[in-house]
Amino acid sequence: MNSILTSIYAFSVQRLPYITLIVTFMGVALRVMRWRSSPPDPEKIKIDPVESVKYVILDVVLFRKTWKTDKAMWLALFLFHGSVAGIVFGHLRGFHIWSITLFEAFGHAFAEFMVHTLPIYVGYVFIITQVYFLARRVMLENKQLTSMPNDYIALVLLLMKSIAGQGMRLVAPEAVPTALYSVVFIPRFVVLHLETIPNSHWFHIHIILTQLFIMYVPFSKFIHIITGVITPAIYGSRRKQIDR
Amino acid sequence: MAQGGSKLTAEFNEKAKASLGKFTRRQVMELDTCAHCGLCTDNCPAYNESKDPLHAPGVRSAMAVKLYDRKYNFLTRLFGNTEITVKDVEELSESAYHCTLCGRCMESCPFGFQTHELWTRVREIVADLDGTPVNVGRLAGMLEENMNPYGLDPDERLDWVDYTDLDEVPEKEEAEVAYFVGCTTAFKGANHEVAFSIASILDEVGEDWTVLGEEEWCCGNPSLLSGDEHTAKEYAEHNVKELERRGVKKVITGCAGCYRVFRFEYPKLLGREPNFETLHSVEYLRDVLVSGKLKLEATDEKVIYHDPCELSRLSGVISAPREALKYLTNNPLEFEEKGIDVRCCGGGGLLQAVNNDMRLDIVSRRLEEAVEKGADILVSACPACKLAFTDGVRERGFEIEVLDLLELAARQLGVF
Ligand code: SF4
Ligand code: SF4
Repeated sequence: MNSILTSIYAFSVQRLPYITLIVTFMGVALRVMRWRSSPPDPEKIKIDPVESVKYVILDVVLFRKTWKTDKAMWLALFLFHGSVAGIVFGHLRGFHIWSITLFEAFGHAFAEFMVHTLPIYVGYVFIITQVYFLARRVMLENKQLTSMPNDYIALVLLLMKSIAGQGMRLVAPEAVPTALYSVVFIPRFVVLHLETIPNSHWFHIHIILTQLFIMYVPFSKFIHIITGVITPAIYGSRRKQIDR
Repeated sequence: MAQGGSKLTAEFNEKAKASLGKFTRRQVMELDTCAHCGLCTDNCPAYNESKDPLHAPGVRSAMAVKLYDRKYNFLTRLFGNTEITVKDVEELSESAYHCTLCGRCMESCPFGFQTHELWTRVREIVADLDGTPVNVGRLAGMLEENMNPYGLDPDERLDWVDYTDLDEVPEKEEAEVAYFVGCTTAFKGANHEVAFSIASILDEVGEDWTVLGEEEWCCGNPSLLSGDEHTAKEYAEHNVKELERRGVKKVITGCAGCYRVFRFEYPKLLGREPNFETLHSVEYLRDVLVSGKLKLEATDEKVIYHDPCELSRLSGVISAPREALKYLTNNPLEFEEKGIDVRCCGGGGLLQAVNNDMRLDIVSRRLEEAVEKGADILVSACPACKLAFTDGVRERGFEIEVLDLLELAARQLGVF
């Protein structure tokens, strides 16, 4: 590997995580400041925890409103968010939040399927649904919707990082060490433990794109990862006040 | 306003900045969260008629956040264009007023954005930037002069009494109940029978009731819908003062717009709750029918009920008219899109003043469905809906009777 690439890869593991943390926190802080500097609402909506949770479950978890409007989009949204949840959960094993023993109670073959086989299928679903979103956006552009540049940048970045992640699974690993292979991003806080040493290119492209994506979240429509729970919760409480 | 796509003056841009700064905390969060997915557009009655992207709610949201960013996003301010042009204002106005403010997009948006308030705020910004359509602007002049959006003399407010079989209506200095007639009922001939029906039912039940007569001013809804909160506040203060002065405990209105404004906007405008309860006439009708104070015989005619957006989706009154209808017909029918998911009739949001053809196209869809379902009578509970339906029947040649729910009740009562 040439030295420039080696330095970039080293930078992506040793330095970029700190930059990612700082930029992401600053981005979120800027967003919050932008909202805080706007005038408060004249009407105080009394938050009703039961109604708010009900609306979050119905509208954020089950996509009730999308079901009413567009069944194909509902399926895509459901599969996309389901695969996000699965992928995030899967990654947590690498950070030693859980281990394969979680599934061993159902037999070793099942546990193997859950941690090694299923993620590959989930990865495909993740990529296919993103391609669908991108194609839908392009087809409806300037008809039913108008996008802002960040709508596309965020989607393309996510798609690229997903393809790199899937590539990493499909390409043969560089080695299978006897002990776990650890990648230290932030000593003692963010340490990834891998069973194999993945293909270096796919791995580093994946982690670079992932970090770029995380940094971009507060500046893009992916801010809805946070606010997409808040607005339906407020709406749920509002409806409680309205409905007779 | 200057011509074409030219940039406006620095002074204008300062005004634009102040005006865009009116988006509240929640609204900015909503604009920032909007994924421009267009799911709200699928059900938008205005967009579905015109197919013009400017009329799509998701596009309006993108337009609004782009303008907001020009003044409030520091990255845009550092690197991008911060000027607001005449074309920007014209497009925003075109978008904001090709909307019935029905709130269907709110019930379609997966993030639950409160779009009725968001689009009303956009209209306020359009007004600040002198972009209000001419016909809508005229309303303001008529309201200022006559306290109603039809430019008619206030002493004609009770003309409906002369046009009906009612001998007189009470104008008392003190009463338990006030009937707030509303401008579209009082001044539009097609709705005079609605006022007559409500008055007859109040008499039949034996209520101690009054009207405000010339002291009734517009509820303020048209002002709010055209972004003029100042005038709406003035009307709210006047109406509430007159009602409270008479010691009224209950205000009944047959207008979905007045009802929504009384219940949800007056507390905001006044900074306090009025000292009376507001009921829509369908809630009152349900109550007196269920309690047995009013006894009616149900008809066998097939009656289909259209939910006024401002009453159902925006005010949550969905079951009361249906419960009342059970006493009025043995054959109630329902539209496919109903209740909180009702499809707008096109009669709201001042659309008539901007694009009456679009209003008629929207109402025709609803009438088509009512006829297909085999309804003999189409009932609603809002004078703006009734006007839209009667205009649709007349202009587009549908064969169906259009009534207000209270008219149907009064007919069963035998008053006409
Ligand atoms: S309020 Fe109704 S007419 Fe206006 S954008 Fe939303 S769905 Fe369309
Ligand atoms: S459905 Fe909601 S998020 Fe999607 S474009 Fe409409 S307002 Fe924006």
